[in-house]
Amino acid sequence: MNTVSQEGLLDWAGPILQGALTTLEIAVLAYAIGLVLGLIGASARLSPWAPLRGLATAYSTAVRAVPELLLIILLYYAGSQALTALIHAMGLPGQVAINGFVTAVGVLAFVQGAYMTEVLRGAILAIPKGQLEAADAFGFSTWARFHRIVIPAMLPNALPGMSNLWLILIKDTALISVIGFSELFFTIQQAAASTRAHFLFYAAAGAIYLLMTLTSTALFARLERYVRRGQPAQEEA
Amino acid sequence: MTSSLHATPSASSTLAVEARHLVKRYGDLEVLRDVSLEVPEGSVTSIIGASGSGKSTLLRCLNLLERPNLGELAIADEAIRFDRNPQGDVVGLDRRQLQRLRAKVSMVFQQFNLWPHFTVLGNVTEAPMRVKGLSRRRANALAEHYLERVGMADKRDSYPAYLSGGQQQRVAIARALAMEPRLLLFDEPTSALDPERVSEVLSVIRGLADEGRTMVLVTHEMAFARDVSDQVVFLDRGVVGVAGTPQDVFEDSEHERCRHFVAPAVC
Repeated sequence: MNTVSQEGLLDWAGPILQGALTTLEIAVLAYAIGLVLGLIGASARLSPWAPLRGLATAYSTAVRAVPELLLIILLYYAGSQALTALIHAMGLPGQVAINGFVTAVGVLAFVQGAYMTEVLRGAILAIPKGQLEAADAFGFSTWARFHRIVIPAMLPNALPGMSNLWLILIKDTALISVIGFSELFFTIQQAAASTRAHFLFYAAAGAIYLLMTLTSTALFARLERYVRRGQPAQEEA
Repeated sequence: MTSSLHATPSASSTLAVEARHLVKRYGDLEVLRDVSLEVPEGSVTSIIGASGSGKSTLLRCLNLLERPNLGELAIADEAIRFDRNPQGDVVGLDRRQLQRLRAKVSMVFQQFNLWPHFTVLGNVTEAPMRVKGLSRRRANALAEHYLERVGMADKRDSYPAYLSGGQQQRVAIARALAMEPRLLLFDEPTSALDPERVSEVLSVIRGLADEGRTMVLVTHEMAFARDVSDQVVFLDRGVVGVAGTPQDVFEDSEHERCRHFVAPAVC
């Protein structure tokens, strides 16, 4: 049997891979939800109806102004307390602890949505007006206009910003370790503390984050080539 | 057609467009001041006039890309009366009627306005599929037919950015035709083209006129307007200066600014 001090990288490989997988799951889910929030936010920001515009502006401004670490902690504790209070109010006993995974996805998606709102708003504003006018002139419904014309026409403008947000999101998942949820960073911290091979494990973590971001950068580059398929190459600046 | 238009039944049955007393303002600027226009089914009407005369605005009122502030419109069996409610908003149109009308009236734009993320074929099939609910197979067949008609069938898989202006405009015409509209609107269709590309687009439009399609054109091509039109409308500072046959407008007009405007084309 190994003693604690003799543990090495291989002993921790399983938990670390599990943590990396969890990190990816959190990031993908948060990104998908953030994208939906961003589409709604951008549409609201561009809405002719002032109250909706105000609400979306407040959302993107406030969320982008507060540190994410603080938001994660706030939602985790405030959320737990609020749910516990709610359950007591309904006459049920007990304490509620919010699931770490749900917190992670929820907070990161909420933050992503705010940044995404601004990226998508700019991209939608950059669509040449004539393309939208053509859709109007042919009698497109609001929905058909949005998903057949607005989304594909804004994607070439939005993808560089979206790719940036994805990279930031992958790295922000590390913040979730503060609530003791074992994603990649938390697992690495435990491994490092347990083996005292700090440099080894933190370097391994760096390598794993690098692998994730490099792979996704390549994927985004392919995606960008696809959404720009109708544009001659020399237009790429 | 509703009684609010006070049209005689015999006239209304043969008119594709009946606009009465249209007024359009942007703030204090009155772009259209009491304009009336009748376009019989199967005829070609050209709207001419100097820049700022309101001719593009008038055309864009016919598919309601611009909402008139006042007046009445009857287009392709949709009758709309524009007015203001006590809050000062323009009323007289609901969304469903707007989409119904636009599905029957197609527009060709000065800047083509093709969708760059669709191929040529995709540009032509999109509206028939999304707006009229045609199957992909039927929309493809329709698109092939009209692309053939404008001589662009061999470019069906190209993206618009790889085509010349004249080719893009011919695709835009095929896109408009594929909706099988009751009325075709052309907003300065050759103004953004290189001079050597103008004729290929004009010859397509001429062919459509010969087929007896109902068309309204805003154009600076005076010789062309005189040649293909059944009716020419000279718009002058937001009112109809002269309207009539090409002969009336280009040769016999007493209207001084009209005579001055068409002079280069007459001699």
